[in-house]
Amino acid sequence: MSKLQLITKGIIKDNPTFVLILGMCPTLGVTSSAINGMGMGVATMAVLIMSNMVISMIKGIVPDKVRIPVFIVVIASFVTIIEMLMKAYVPALYASLGVFIPLIVVNCVILGRAEAFASKNGIVDSALDGIGIGLGFTLSLTVIGAVREILGAGSIFGYTFAADVMPLLFILAPGGFLVLGYLMVLFNKIAKR
Amino acid sequence: MKSTLKNMVLVLFSITAVAALLVGLVNNLTKGTIAETEQRNKDLAKLEVLPKFEGEAELQDTTRMIGDFNINVTTVKAGGNLVGYAVEAPSITKNGYGDRIYLMVGFVEQEGKTTISGVKVISQKETPGLGANMLNPGNSLEKSVLGMSPAELKFAVKKDNGSFDALTGSTISSRAYANAVETAYAGYLWAKGELPSENDAVSGATTTTEAAENNNQMEPEAQKGEVSNE
Repeated sequence: MSKLQLITKGIIKDNPTFVLILGMCPTLGVTSSAINGMGMGVATMAVLIMSNMVISMIKGIVPDKVRIPVFIVVIASFVTIIEMLMKAYVPALYASLGVFIPLIVVNCVILGRAEAFASKNGIVDSALDGIGIGLGFTLSLTVIGAVREILGAGSIFGYTFAADVMPLLFILAPGGFLVLGYLMVLFNKIAKR
Repeated sequence: MKSTLKNMVLVLFSITAVAALLVGLVNNLTKGTIAETEQRNKDLAKLEVLPKFEGEAELQDTTRMIGDFNINVTTVKAGGNLVGYAVEAPSITKNGYGDRIYLMVGFVEQEGKTTISGVKVISQKETPGLGANMLNPGNSLEKSVLGMSPAELKFAVKKDNGSFDALTGSTISSRAYANAVETAYAGYLWAKGELPSENDAVSGATTTTEAAENNNQMEPEAQKGEVSNE
């Protein structure tokens, strides 16, 4: 598989949200607006790239039976460190993304890629896989967020065009499931061609 | 790699040790900066909730405890003239959907009449896209209080016969917001030394008891906190 394919496969063929169906809790939880979806996606991508690299580095010394706890410790430490660094040095970014950071620990996209890819491949490939899957995750979350924001709040990226007339249901949890389901069908129908 | 008891214990121990060390180091490195940033944001918020003024600001803080909660009243003066009061207060009787909501509320006095000059959310853990919309400038909660006289406000959402226009789909967050404004007003009255019993946070709570029953958010220690205030 070429280096470029490693990146593009995360966007379509192995799209984490619509094809692998990983990381559903943050997906449904934060996609109430396009910008929130994008923020969660970007924050996840940053952690994913770094955790993939570290896990690929230590894969030779980790015994099989304890690999899951080791991966979780690595991911959770990264998330905590990133949260503290962001809070201290880029408070503006933290103010908008801060709520998503702790959610990344429980994001199974990251554990899933550690297990399925980084623990079997080299450092460079693992970093590229992180970029690809991260991009796929960011794009999917932004699209879901945009659709929910348009249908539920009558706005897009915070720009309101139809206030108070749209069904609020789409911002609430049931709307999240509806939008996710229909987008999944649509995505797989198009991707299969 | 094949697992043996020895290598499992060894690897797991060393990885967690390294991770703990790194997290501890970064925490040591950043906690000073984080505390500074938070303090600076609070100081900025104090001025943001008050009208613009000329000259150097003189800030004077006083703190009152209600139960376990600190209410911080900052008297802001410029050139010897009183600009207003910035009060930082939590929602006491009600949690938001996530946690207590902390607000900075500005009070100004003109011709003997007190009005609310600004509100800024200091901390909240509400749902993004719903309750967290209280952070957006010009949201319905902010509009319900800006320029209003707190003495004429009913500190509850419209659904509970109050004067706060709740955020769409976020009644619980809005109730907590109304409660935090009420607490801030009590803090302001206390700082002025005019806390008549009917406006005390204690009796204020009785007007919202019904609402608390509706959402079951009333916490025992919060109730205790109010009683001890009496």
